Amino acid sequence: MSGVLGGIYNTVIRSNGVFLSAIFVGAFATNLAFDTGSNALWDSINRGRQWKDIKHRYMESEDEE
Amino acid sequence: MSVPTRLSTAISRQAARQTLPAVRAAPLGVQQQKRTRADASTSHAEFNSPFTRGTSGKKDTTVIPSFKKYRSGSETNNKVFQYFMVGAFGGLSALGAKNTVQDFLVNMSASADVLAQAKVEVDLASIPEGKNVIIKWRGKPVFIRHRTADEIKEADETKWESLRDPQADSERVKKPEWLIMLGVCTHLGCVPIGEAGDFGGWFCPCHGSHYDISGRIRKGPAPLNLEVPEYDFPEDTSLVIG
Repeated sequence: MSGVLGGIYNTVIRSNGVFLSAIFVGAFATNLAFDTGSNALWDSINRGRQWKDIKHRYMESEDEE
Repeated sequence: MSVPTRLSTAISRQAARQTLPAVRAAPLGVQQQKRTRADASTSHAEFNSPFTRGTSGKKDTTVIPSFKKYRSGSETNNKVFQYFMVGAFGGLSALGAKNTVQDFLVNMSASADVLAQAKVEVDLASIPEGKNVIIKWRGKPVFIRHRTADEIKEADETKWESLRDPQADSERVKKPEWLIMLGVCTHLGCVPIGEAGDFGGWFCPCHGSHYDISGRIRKGPAPLNLEVPEYDFPEDTSLVIG
């Protein structure tokens, strides 16, 4: 346990630049994960009610023309 | 309930109170035992003062209490935890700041209805040679002229270097037969009249500016040539302005 944490401390935290970049990369990843996750949740709650779900019912006739 | 029975129950209750703590607190010091006996009816807590030396139980204010129980095993663990918390909150703050700025900028960009009107598509096949068409684009008139070969030649051969706003015809058109420009006079913003004026192009009735067949100012008060908007020909017979 201490070895793992010591490794993290020595690789990530000790150098300020690396720590700061890790923070920004983490923020970016969090942003991405949060957006993807919340969109997936929204889509799963509103399944079958959104335009992209029912589009094929109405767009078929237009394509045939 | 008679008086003797009440008295006997009170005595027995008192006895029970006193015997129980005495049994429990037997190994403790005399002082503490006295204290626990005094409030044994209300409290089960025991208090060991850290300000005592050894096991004597005697109070001594110069004793530094031991905080060994509260110390964590290693310094690295604490450091990693602290820096993790600092970094995590820093990251969340960065995220919040980024989203604030982004929302503010997105708020200033064009909305969907504006973007939908920003482009106009025109079918060029319906415009015969030598005819003008005026369409509305972003609230302004746009002149589209299908120029004849003679007009192209005339526009090309004009000595443009000596004009008020010198510009070659090839700079103003992408295809020589199609002249596309904003129908707003560069003087005070009137709409010029097509196929009029001294130079066979456009004539502004407001203050008498004459434009030639390439839309260049030739005579009158206007300072600049008619403006050419962004446009493109995605196919041979269609034109997209914007």
